[in-house]
Amino acid sequence: MNNLFIFITSISLFFFIINRSVVASFSSNDLIGVAPQDEVYYKELWSSGGGSVKCRDGSKSFTKAQLNDDFCDCFDGTDEPGTSACPTGKFYCRNAGHSPLIVFSSRINDGICDCCDGSDEYDGKTNCTNTCWEAGKVARDALKQKIATYQQGVTIRKHETDEAKISAAKDEAELSKLKSEEKVLKGIVEKLKEHKEQIEKVLEKERIQKEKEEKQKKEAEESKLKEQKGEDKVDEPVKSDDDKADILDNSPAGQDLKEHAESALEVVHNAHASLDNGEEHSVMEEDTSEVAPVSDPDTGLGSKGEDATKDIDSLSREDLGREIGSRWTGKKTEQQNHDVDDVKNDDRTSVDVQDEESNGYDTETEEDHQNYEDDTEDHMDDVADEANDDSSSSYNYEPDEEVDMSDIESESNPSWFEKIKKTVRDVLQAINPLQTPVDTSEAETVRKEYDEANGKLLKLRSKISRLTKKLKSDFGPEKEFYSLYGQCFESKQNKYVYKVCPFKQATQEEGYSTTRLGNWKNFEESYSVMLFENGDNCWNGPDRSLKVRLRCGLKVEVADVNEPSRCEYAATLTTPALCLEGKLKELKDELEVLDKQQPQIHDEL
Amino acid sequence: MITNLNPNANTLINSKRFRTILNCKKLKTKSPHQTLTSPLFSTPQKNKEKTYLFHHFTHKNPNSYSYYYDHNNTTMKKSIHYLIYLTLFLSYLTTTTHSWKKEEFRNCNQTPFCKRARSRHPHSCNLIPSDVTITNNGDLVAKLKTKPNPDQDSSDDHNPDLEFSLSVYKDGILRVKIHENQEKDKKRFEVPDVVLDEFESQKLWLQRFKKEVIGDDLLESFVVYLSDGYEVVLRSDPFEVFVREQGSGGARILSFNSHGLFDFEQLRVKKEGEDWEERFRSHTDSRPYGPQSISFDVSFYGADFVYGIPEHATSLALKPTSGPGVEESEPYRLFNLDVFEYLAESPFGLYGSIPFMLSHGKSHGTSGFFWLNAAEMQIDVLGSGWDAESKIALPSDQKRIDTLWMSEAGIVDAFFFVGPKPKDVVKQYASVTGTSAMPQLFATGYHQCRWNYKDEEDVKNVDSKFDEHDIPYDVLWLDIEHTDGKRYFTWDRTLFPNPEQMQNDLASRGRRMVTIVDPHIKRDEGYHIHKEASKNGYYVKDASGKDYDGWCWPGSSSYIDMVNPDIRSWWADKFALSEYVGSTPSLYIWNDMNEPSVFNGPEVTMPRDALHYGNVEHRELHNAYGYYFHMATSDGLLKRGGGNDRPFVLSRAFFPGTQRYGTVWTGDNTAEWEQLRVSIPMILTLGLTGITFSGADVGGFFGNPDTELLVRWYQVAAYLPFFRGHAHHDTKRREPWLFGERNTQLMRDAIRVRYTLLPYFYTLFREANVTGVPVARPLWMEFPEDEATYSNDEAFMVGNGLLVQGVYTQVLLFSFMTYSPPYG
Repeated sequence: MNNLFIFITSISLFFFIINRSVVASFSSNDLIGVAPQDEVYYKELWSSGGGSVKCRDGSKSFTKAQLNDDFCDCFDGTDEPGTSACPTGKFYCRNAGHSPLIVFSSRINDGICDCCDGSDEYDGKTNCTNTCWEAGKVARDALKQKIATYQQGVTIRKHETDEAKISAAKDEAELSKLKSEEKVLKGIVEKLKEHKEQIEKVLEKERIQKEKEEKQKKEAEESKLKEQKGEDKVDEPVKSDDDKADILDNSPAGQDLKEHAESALEVVHNAHASLDNGEEHSVMEEDTSEVAPVSDPDTGLGSKGEDATKDIDSLSREDLGREIGSRWTGKKTEQQNHDVDDVKNDDRTSVDVQDEESNGYDTETEEDHQNYEDDTEDHMDDVADEANDDSSSSYNYEPDEEVDMSDIESESNPSWFEKIKKTVRDVLQAINPLQTPVDTSEAETVRKEYDEANGKLLKLRSKISRLTKKLKSDFGPEKEFYSLYGQCFESKQNKYVYKVCPFKQATQEEGYSTTRLGNWKNFEESYSVMLFENGDNCWNGPDRSLKVRLRCGLKVEVADVNEPSRCEYAATLTTPALCLEGKLKELKDELEVLDKQQPQIHDEL
Repeated sequence: MITNLNPNANTLINSKRFRTILNCKKLKTKSPHQTLTSPLFSTPQKNKEKTYLFHHFTHKNPNSYSYYYDHNNTTMKKSIHYLIYLTLFLSYLTTTTHSWKKEEFRNCNQTPFCKRARSRHPHSCNLIPSDVTITNNGDLVAKLKTKPNPDQDSSDDHNPDLEFSLSVYKDGILRVKIHENQEKDKKRFEVPDVVLDEFESQKLWLQRFKKEVIGDDLLESFVVYLSDGYEVVLRSDPFEVFVREQGSGGARILSFNSHGLFDFEQLRVKKEGEDWEERFRSHTDSRPYGPQSISFDVSFYGADFVYGIPEHATSLALKPTSGPGVEESEPYRLFNLDVFEYLAESPFGLYGSIPFMLSHGKSHGTSGFFWLNAAEMQIDVLGSGWDAESKIALPSDQKRIDTLWMSEAGIVDAFFFVGPKPKDVVKQYASVTGTSAMPQLFATGYHQCRWNYKDEEDVKNVDSKFDEHDIPYDVLWLDIEHTDGKRYFTWDRTLFPNPEQMQNDLASRGRRMVTIVDPHIKRDEGYHIHKEASKNGYYVKDASGKDYDGWCWPGSSSYIDMVNPDIRSWWADKFALSEYVGSTPSLYIWNDMNEPSVFNGPEVTMPRDALHYGNVEHRELHNAYGYYFHMATSDGLLKRGGGNDRPFVLSRAFFPGTQRYGTVWTGDNTAEWEQLRVSIPMILTLGLTGITFSGADVGGFFGNPDTELLVRWYQVAAYLPFFRGHAHHDTKRREPWLFGERNTQLMRDAIRVRYTLLPYFYTLFREANVTGVPVARPLWMEFPEDEATYSNDEAFMVGNGLLVQGVYTQVLLFSFMTYSPPYG
């Protein structure tokens, strides 16, 4: 009984609405399935001459008798808005109290209630209860909820994009600073190395000299002893004398070295001074990239230096001599000099560009940040360790990455850099490598400084490459995904823990075993999907991959991880980044439309 | 049996959700592009000249499918050449990529009975009928005695007489049985439960026979009436049986043993030192009863081609397997096997077996021969001239196709059908084994399957996508992963916590669900089916009498002995809603792996010396095992519905009579053009041999079809009787909306055409249900006079009114031709 009553009510309601909105000459059933805004299209059918209307696709036309006669005249369904005759037709249900719905014509009188007002089942075979009011209320509540989420989300998103811009700018500034520091540091390292090598050379020379002297002494003693027996081995010491002369001739003059040291210092000043000059960044980057190749022979030298200290012990005396000698005589030596010149030239070009900015800046920062020296030193060490971890265990990168991030920030504090600079200057100025005899403690200082500076250079480079990689990433048109960098999000489902790390990778963990679902590929479908590809291979199948669908949400959370095809995973991730203002407006408009309908229909009921 | 055969009684109410375009029946033909979505179909036209429908891709839009008529013959011929080249090229490509494990299956040479029979010389049969009489039952009976051999002592190696009987049934059906004396310890197996009970009532009581001397024969032959215009001759020396047109000079229609290849290895005592064991790879068949095979030749007269004997992935018209010009070939094998990645062109046996062959030719028309035997069978189609060396001339003015039939065990229980029209033969066959069950309307719609729809969420999602894309479908399927550890009748409750709710939700939109139930039962004491089956001794036994323990999906498994009617009844009860927990009245069943598939058995099946109910060896009934399983499941659903809900059960294995219990599909095919192509003759052959409700997995089970292949597959399969999309779990998802809007549209159109034609299909299913004439028919069934149709298996008829031509190649630059028979 109750159902029947509702049904009748809904039917009469339906008629009521149709009547209200349609020109008086239409009967209520004539335009069943037509949306109110389209009613005017059919007006011609009721013209006095019994006119006809063109199908929307322009192919044909139809008369009033052909309208909704359950026979498809227009392939596009224009003539059959209220029947299922045309396969491509659409049926409009008003759904008063809820939102209007357009359903496929196949839904009409198919025995299933598709419209909440039941208007799609009008042949009397199926009784549909009007559920629009209840459904509408649920839908409105859901919509309100959604709008609330969006509203908050939009704010958060706004905040995040602002933050992202600042962070990105900071990161870029940091990067260019690091790059310029790298360049300077490289110069310093080179000088130190040269210095160190000079000292070592001198030391070696001294040692050889000493040995020779001892030998001569010994030989003299021996020859004294042998004088009675014969004079066989007189030639040798003379040879040694020649060698020594060669070595001395080939070594660079002390003057040159000093020049090098000074130019390096100059670079330190200038490069640092340019740090805050954002416009110059690009120039800086280009410069460093040009300089970069030089570092190859540079490191080659470094290893040679090592060779000298390591291998020397194992060489026979004769070989040692040859080895050391070759440093001056061989082709390698020429190369080395040439390279140093290149560095010098390059440095000069960058110095030229930045000359104007160089005054009065370095000292300021030097003093300001002196206090933080120790802290930054610690951080530097951390970074080095993490870099190692990173390469050995690719699955546990994310906590490191976080530390790394903070590290990079704190290292915008330049005091460590100033300290090095100062020390190096002191060392370079204080120690004359050509001074003989060499002060061994001074030699030790130079070596230590070199090792320290070189270590820092390596760390700096790994930081630069990481930061470069980050900044190259696509964070969306407004950098709205910036804050997701270096973060991971987990979702536990049954026995599996799924871990999604945007811009990095995604994994599935079960106990201690980890399966890679994919490496970061890119965003798709206008930043609504994250794609991870080339994960671990499936036996007899493809490489694993994961498609993460993004939704608006206040927190970043992974959910609904699924494997629709074998080894092709799917998941959803909520993030404020997807809470778009445009969408919020749409939702609000939707609610407005719903609300407009609501009170009037409520009164009717 | 099925009590509700009125198609209007409950099915229309049951399947209310045909939300599409049934109203399109009223669409005017003014817009032909609307209905002429590929495949092309045209109603036969009254036109003496053949018209060719061409199909091409335009250059501008390679995805547009348009049609035009072209009478330019040169274009056509060129096109055909291209088509041939391309087809050859494709077949070359695909045969090299297959991974069919040929060596895992026995060939004829590795099968002693087949090797023996194939090497026998024509006219080596030395039997003569004697004591010919008509019994009280109206049968003609005789003893087949061994001719005394003048060269040998007659007492030596003397075979006992064989018992011969000949019966005649209404509408031109002859039945010949040859049996040995059954007073032995071991009884030969006669297949029960296949021939309809009603068939016996159609027997014509023979009253008398005529005697006649044929040619220069020394002995008289016996002639009896068969039907109007036909008679049967039992010729005495040489022994043969043939059907001829009435009168002593009447043209022959069919004959048995005209080449004297008949041999019947009678059961005997093992001789001293004799080894009866047979070994294949790592398996040994104890063969306790020794050799017991039967072979004989059958000739079809006035025949241009022979057809039938499924299941093989091969052409509709059967190619010769032996004779001059035939490369070394295997006989057509009938042995139900689970073949991994079967080839698109091979005589090797697949999942089901129907030893029923039809012939068709211009001069006589159609005739048929059916051997009711469930053991392994091998059948040679002998190319003309195969017997040139024997120099024995049969009536030579008649075109003839000779065939050699060989079986490992059983008896001769052979049926001859005189036709003479194609539909007569299928009707005659149907009067012996039954017509196909009338499906419910929903079962004739589109089915969506995948190994596996993973969980309830997945099911919900797939279901809603169909509505979202306005694609009609009626049944969603769940493969083995829905169970709790491959224990059938159970659910994986983490994936499917609320199966009833899930089914009811589908049912609220008029949709059904199908779950899989296989015959291998997990040997797990905690599993109720296993507990009952092992306790009650319901399992097939191994040669030693213990429950046979094989290996299948669940691991160690045993197999229900479905040959026993009591066990079938027990099994059927498992489908009661109270027994099958989580089932609802809208749930139907899929029987897979019922060859039976045994992963660690010889040729991936059960050892031949396994024992069934009544001490019957598995070798004797192997091909019927799946049939019994299908029968029991179908009976279960019938019981569940109180006889008012027509069952739907899909089976992979089949046997004569399967049509009475449900549907069949062509098993694990592959996503290749060649396999789409071969699915047509496979399905047409099934229709000819009684099983009209059959289909192939749309898209191909193994591998990922390219989009064009998938679209083409939908376009053809929409016209085939059973229409189901299915895919292996290693493949990508391929539901029809996953390939872009244009392709979604094409697949939607294909499926909608099916729904548009559903009333037509439903009517045709009813026709098949009443008469046995299949829904999908070879062209020659409708145009028996037109020789051009005889070997055409690309095009087919749906009923008598719709000609369907599929597209089976990637269409590149050339056009495409279909046959259009003259009508009138």
